[in-house]
This record gives sequence, C-alpha cells and structure tokens, in this order.
Amino acid sequence: MRSYFSDFPKTALQASYWLFVIYLLLPLALMMAISFKDANFVAFPIDKWTLKWYAQVLQDKQFLEACLYSIFIALMTTLFATIVGVWIALLITTEGMIARSVIFALACLPAVVPGLINAISMRIFIRVLDIPTGTGAIILGHTVHAVPFVVIMVLTRLRSMPNNLVDAARDLGADSFVAFMRVTLPYLAPALAGGMVFCVLTSIDDFVRTFFLGGYQTTLPMLIFAKVQGGMSPEINAMATLVLIVTAAVGLYAEHLTRRSRTR
Amino acid sequence: MQPVVHFRNVNKYYGSSLAVDNLDLAIEPGQFVTLLGPSGCGKSTTLRMLGGFEMPTSGEIFLDGQEISQLPPNKRNVNIVFQDYALFPHLNVRRNVAFGLELKGMASDAIHKRTMELLSLVKLTDFAERMPGQLSGGQRQRVALMRALAPNPNVLLLDEPLSALDAKLRQQMQIELKSIQKTTGKTFIFVTHDQEEALTMSDVVVVMNAGRIEQMGDPHTLYARPRSRFVANFIGETNFIEGKLKAVDGGLAAIEWNGSVVHANLNGHSPTIGSTVAAALRPESISVRSEKPANTIAVSGRITQRIFKGDHTSLTVDLPGDQSVVAQLDPVALSAVTGDDVWLTWRESDAVVLAD
Repeated sequence: MRSYFSDFPKTALQASYWLFVIYLLLPLALMMAISFKDANFVAFPIDKWTLKWYAQVLQDKQFLEACLYSIFIALMTTLFATIVGVWIALLITTEGMIARSVIFALACLPAVVPGLINAISMRIFIRVLDIPTGTGAIILGHTVHAVPFVVIMVLTRLRSMPNNLVDAARDLGADSFVAFMRVTLPYLAPALAGGMVFCVLTSIDDFVRTFFLGGYQTTLPMLIFAKVQGGMSPEINAMATLVLIVTAAVGLYAEHLTRRSRTR
Repeated sequence: MQPVVHFRNVNKYYGSSLAVDNLDLAIEPGQFVTLLGPSGCGKSTTLRMLGGFEMPTSGEIFLDGQEISQLPPNKRNVNIVFQDYALFPHLNVRRNVAFGLELKGMASDAIHKRTMELLSLVKLTDFAERMPGQLSGGQRQRVALMRALAPNPNVLLLDEPLSALDAKLRQQMQIELKSIQKTTGKTFIFVTHDQEEALTMSDVVVVMNAGRIEQMGDPHTLYARPRSRFVANFIGETNFIEGKLKAVDGGLAAIEWNGSVVHANLNGHSPTIGSTVAAALRPESISVRSEKPANTIAVSGRITQRIFKGDHTSLTVDLPGDQSVVAQLDPVALSAVTGDDVWLTWRESDAVVLAD
C-alpha cells in the first residue's frame, strides 16, 4: 500500500473524507426523511410519520405514465447508442493513428458539449430536417449524448483483448462475423453491460435535451419539474426517493456485474 | 511422397522490408518439423502465411497439393497453437476445445465424446468445467493444443508455444508434445528460437536467417555438419578455425591456422586453394593432452580459464596469436589447471568446412 502525504496526520485525511460523505449524503437523507412526513409542507421537524405519500405516488397515473415513457426512451436510446458506440469503437481500433484520434475526439464531443448548447442546436437541426418534436427527436438527442460512454467503455475493454483471440476463432473455422458474435461480443459483455446502464441512467436523468426536443408527453424529470413549479410537497420527495433507490440499485448492480466478470 | 506442405517461391514484404525471401520448402507428412531462427528471421511469418493470417506477396503455398495461399484461415485445414494460447476467456475448458467442432456442425454428443477423449489424452478431464483463468500455464498450454487438434487438421502449427513456461515445465512439455505428435501421426510445424528445443523434438529442423533457409536437416546432421557459419553459431557452441586453404585431399582440407596446418572435413564444399576458409569445431570434439601426441596434428596453447559445469568442464585455451578455443572435457579427465600449457587434437572429420 502506498501512502501519500505520510507526514500529515492520518485523521486529517479521514476527516476531510467524512466531510465529503456528509455533504453528499445529508441532503439525500433529508429528502428521504421528509417523504415520510405526515404534513403538507416541506420542513422540519417531523412530528408524525406516514407512508401515504408513497401510496399516493404509486397510484398517480401521471407519475406511472411518465415513468414508463422515460424507461421506453431510455431503452431505445440504449439500443441505438450501443450499436453506434460499438461500431465506432471497432472502427477506431482498425484505423491508423491520426484517423483514430480524430474519430475518437468527434465521438466524445457530445459528452463535453454543454447540454444546453447541444439541445438548442438539435432543436434547430430537427426543424431544418422537418422532424417533429416528440419521442423520436428525444431518442435521437439522448442517443447522441449516450454514444461517448459506450465508445469509451468498449474501447477500454477492446484494448485489453488479446490480439489473437479473433485469430484463434478464425483459425478454428469461424468467418469474421461468427468470430465477432462468438468471441469479440462475449469478451465485450462486461463493458457493454456497464455502457448500457450508463445510457439508461443518462437518458432517464436528462432534462435539458428532453425539454427542447420533447412534445406533449412528459418524461419523469419533466413531470417532477412541473410539480416543483407548483410548490414543494412531500409527494415530490417520495417520487425522488423512489427514483433514487431504483437508479442507485441498478447502477450498483451493474458495477458489481462488471467487476465480477473483470476478475474472471 | 507428396509433401503435405509446399512453399513455392514465396516472398513476403512488409512495406519495403523483405520478411520472407524466395522461400522454397517442402514438408513430408507425419513429421515434426521445426522452423528455427533468431527473431525477425521470417519463421513466424512463414507460419502465419500457412495459417492464413498473412498473405504472401508472391509465390504459392500448397496444402495437400491444393493451392491455399489466398484462402482465409477458416477455409484451411490447419490449426495453430498461439504463443500466449489465446484461449477464449469466457468459455470453459470443454467449450474451448469444442469450439472448432461446433463450427464444423458436428452433433453435440459426438462433440462431447471427442472433447472428452482429447482432454483425457492430456489428463484434463477433471478440469473440463474450469475457466481458462483458473488453470496453470502448463494446463492452458495443453488445452490450447487440444483445441487446435480437435477439428482434426492436416497440419498443426505451433508458434513458440513453450516460451512462456518455466524451464522445467518446458522440458516436460517438449517430451509430451513429441509423444502427442507420435500418437496422432500428424504433421507438426513448430516455430522456436530455442535451438535446444528444436534439437530435442524435431525430425527435421529448418534453420532460417534473414528470410531464407540456411540449412534443413535432421538435428544430428545440423549439429555435426553445419553448412554455414550462421548455423554453426546458432546451434550449440562452436570454435571457428579460419585460415588459408593450403591443399585439398580426399574430402579433407588442409588449413593454415596459427602457424600450423590443420585438417578439416570439406563437407561437400569446394573452395579454391589459396582462399581463406572457415571450419567449425565443436568444443566436445577437441581432446586436450598435457603431452604433445605422436602421429597426429596438434595445436599448442595455454589454459586461461577452467569452469566446472557439473557434467563437464569447460576450458578456454589461448593459442599463440590472438585466438582462443573452448574445449569441453570430462570433469576428471585432465588435472591441468589455469596457466598450464596443453596440446589440442581432434579427429580430422570432426572439423567441418563452412560455406561463407
């Protein structure tokens, strides 16, 4: 084990870590606590506890529809982004040094362009192309944003892939398509799983692009935004808590999957 | 007999650099053939051209009489064992071995039977369900070997497969490989830069240098009758006798060397009298005497180093002039120590004239 700042008191490093954790978790904890509060306004102290906000949220048709709509968009986004991302990553590994860095830089651009700029430019672009705002436009917007994550994860995994695995498959009778399906793709599986979860999470989380590209149907972030506009209530806290728990569980599970197959 | 593998006038360029230079090589079926040479000599390129991973720039490659030089790897009935084994990490041992059989469209119970047979051949049936990551280097090696043998190829190619193993395991695997080759009766083409490995296993050794074949023959001939300085140097330890050719008589050359005239086997060469020739003389062919022997040509020198090597003792003997010779002898044969003057003699036929 290496030790940095070894002449610092260790407790100082630990203390700053715990400060960070508290700053990260305290707001979330407060939000979750209030979702159990039996009163109509968001404030402390909590005198009475209740589950009624959850019952209300789970029976809220608007909320459930927004959830399904967001999940649908996330899955379509993931599908397209995965195909395009894997394709770009494979292209990068077959190109020469200069082409490689250009392709990589362009593929990663959507991850660093500010979301607002990206969203506005896309809004203008779909107008030019005569694509209506709505589901299709949202999926297109989310896909462009999600591709870099797939590219980076797949590329990292591809770099660790022994060169001659594909050669070995070819040697044993596989044509290049069979070799890809039976060797390359399974080898990429952990990276794909990780990249796909990333796609789902960024898509579900996205507000700005959806705001500019969306139609009448609301996604989950837009619904929550609309509700907040109408005033804070513990119901919103309950919604946010549900979203937090589900997304954190999915994210951690994906991380676990990726790690397990990496050590194999 | 028709050769199982035949390279005809094969050239391979990488850009403007020539990796394989007008290669002509015919390999008889059922033999253990080793391509031996230093890195960059073209031996791996030759193997990869046979496997279908490189295409020759010009020339033809025949497998069982059929021209294959432009066919992709999956259309050739040869299989390769890679240097780092290239086992599929997501498949267990059984599925790795079965890979080629599945692609052949064999029935699944037949695949299972053949897979298990092959694994029992290398005593790995208990490991059938393990993942490659859970195996030792030697076990991985065996799985890779069986995976390549499974589709029943005409020729098995082995690309320095033992180089990642430690010395002891390497020796063990050499013997195992040789015995598997004998039991299967297949043609093995083995690539290595390790001369000892080549001598141990091969029926035929092909020594390559700078994209060309230097010499091809059975291990004993290569060792005892090297044709060129390169071969003599690359295989085993050698002393070089260099001097003016004085005369040629009945297959023997008389070479002026260090003021005396010594004899060497002409080995089929016909150098012109008066030119400078070189002959190779193995350290173990030299006998070292403390007295000048009668009735035979001998060279005198002084021992400058004596190294005990277990099964033999190695002597460095400085000759008058600037040269020195390494001789090998029984550890107890001679009590001479560093600084002693000795006489060196050898059987005339043991020194071999080299092409230059």
